[in-house]
Amino acid sequence: MAVMPAVSDQLDTHIDIVTPENTAFEYRVAGPFHRLPAYLIDLGIRLGVAVLGWVGLLLAFGFMYMPEVGAALGLVLWFLLAWGYGGAFEALWNGQTPGKRVMGIRVLTVDGQAIGGMQAVLRNVLRIVDGQPAVFNLGYLGPFTYLLGLLAASANDRFQRLGDLACGTMVVVEDRPWLFGLVNPNEPAIGPLAAQIPPGFEVSRSMARALAAYVQHRRAFAWKRRMEMARHLAEPLRRRFGLPADTNPDLLLCALYHRKFLAATDPEGPAPAVPSPVPAAG
Amino acid sequence: MKVSELIQSRQKHWRELEQRCSALENLSGRRVRAEAGTRFAALYRAACADLALADAYHLPPATVQYLHQLVGRAHNQLYRTRAFAVRKWYGELFINVPRRLYRDRSFRLALAIFWGVFILSSLMAFSSPDYADRILGQDFMEALEEMYSQPVAGRSDGATGMLATGFYTIHNTSIGLRCFAFGLVFGIGGLFALVFNASVLGAAFGHMAGGPHAGNFFHFVTAHGPFELTAIVLAAAAGMRLGFSLVDTGGYTRAAALRRAATEAVPSVAAAVLLFLLAAVIEGFLSPSAAPYAVKLAAAVASCILLVFYFVGLGRRHAFAGETPSLGGAAGIPPG
Repeated sequence: MAVMPAVSDQLDTHIDIVTPENTAFEYRVAGPFHRLPAYLIDLGIRLGVAVLGWVGLLLAFGFMYMPEVGAALGLVLWFLLAWGYGGAFEALWNGQTPGKRVMGIRVLTVDGQAIGGMQAVLRNVLRIVDGQPAVFNLGYLGPFTYLLGLLAASANDRFQRLGDLACGTMVVVEDRPWLFGLVNPNEPAIGPLAAQIPPGFEVSRSMARALAAYVQHRRAFAWKRRMEMARHLAEPLRRRFGLPADTNPDLLLCALYHRKFLAATDPEGPAPAVPSPVPAAG
Repeated sequence: MKVSELIQSRQKHWRELEQRCSALENLSGRRVRAEAGTRFAALYRAACADLALADAYHLPPATVQYLHQLVGRAHNQLYRTRAFAVRKWYGELFINVPRRLYRDRSFRLALAIFWGVFILSSLMAFSSPDYADRILGQDFMEALEEMYSQPVAGRSDGATGMLATGFYTIHNTSIGLRCFAFGLVFGIGGLFALVFNASVLGAAFGHMAGGPHAGNFFHFVTAHGPFELTAIVLAAAAGMRLGFSLVDTGGYTRAAALRRAATEAVPSVAAAVLLFLLAAVIEGFLSPSAAPYAVKLAAAVASCILLVFYFVGLGRRHAFAGETPSLGGAAGIPPG
């Protein structure tokens, strides 16, 4: 019998997914602060539709002198909203209910694939267990307190409530990505400083990452804090390049960044161009 | 090639993928034309490749994060929910469910517990009014007496029949689904619900059978009894299977054992819901009607025969045949 590793290699709420294309990418698991508002929105919609639908059906069939039929249909509507709302939406809307859609979260299997209809229905039927203790239960519509679900969710890596555990599903945040261009530090001293860096100097991958992270965030720090942070990398580099002792470490890192990421001409000769894998649009 | 030039050259593809994602998200479920599909797939693969090579391209962290989100978003549009595999429902309901239940020990156990407690409770309530009083409570007993003090015949016409059907559907099916869901708590929740329902229903039966209104009572409950009581047992048994899978994992991890049990439990819950629905239609229309008792008895006998055919006849027939492709395979829960 396989023994579960006692220590998961997960660092925070990001989890890695390997796609069928054999690419790894990561998702952010949705915590209670994404899921609670989504639940409340759905609850509002369900209660609203249930009450309005019932009144509407009663009125409509009342005018035809068949109020019992209206009431019966109202009951069926109530039942469907109580037990079938989440399952139907998650199955037909690709893992989202209206509330989840507003909050930008989605239900996926633990492998990161789309869920099946059965999983959607089951995790919503089991919702009543997660919702316990229910102080107030309006014909199975809720609202529930979700203490049991919260307890179960906080005991595992993927914030899965009991219904999620039974179906092998999880809820992830689907961020709307926003592409910022490269940060371009525009202090005038950077240009001359970049020219003083020896042309043969090669920036390693890890150093490139560090430079990019530093330049992206440096504006958020005070001048003295920047000096303090930049010094650790800039000081050895300054000595290696033989630059004067009063060289500004912050600007030196910016100059390196400029040369690595931005400069139009490549002093090391043209690197092989990377072909784009996308065929031209038909 | 400088990083800035690389990003520049890729940007338009990434943005196009973003736009196509937005379009697909708003389209939600409608069909996509073939060339749009291939174009989307090509853009998605390109973004995947860029992400995979992000480290080699020295892309800055902000761009890598953007690519993670973009690929995740596109992935969710490319691999969509398969909704409901309606075509498989017939095979699941009429082949797999009877087959599994025929060999299922939780179902036998649930049947035995329910009927054992039911019969015991009804005998005790029949012989001692004190017991019925303790189980049911004074108010409930008076309400029962009141309800059946009038003859059942002709209590309903078509419209109130519909209302009654609606009410019984929502009420009983909700009880059944609750029974199932609470089975998740190590089977104890389902067991509790089963014993609770059996003792209350048994006490009500025993009490009414010994009382002055026995004729009216049986006139009402005979026709829909078989379907309704079987449905409760079925739902509770499915829940118990969920719970017991956490205790006896069969060598899997507890989470995997639970997932396996859930895959098998869902179709039998669906069968239970169907039975509740049938019972509700009978309870709404036939039970309160003016039809003679013989007709209602005939309905009860017919439903018993149907149930035996379903659980034993179909069960035996398929018990030793090979698995039909189950919902768990294509549209359900991966067994791992």
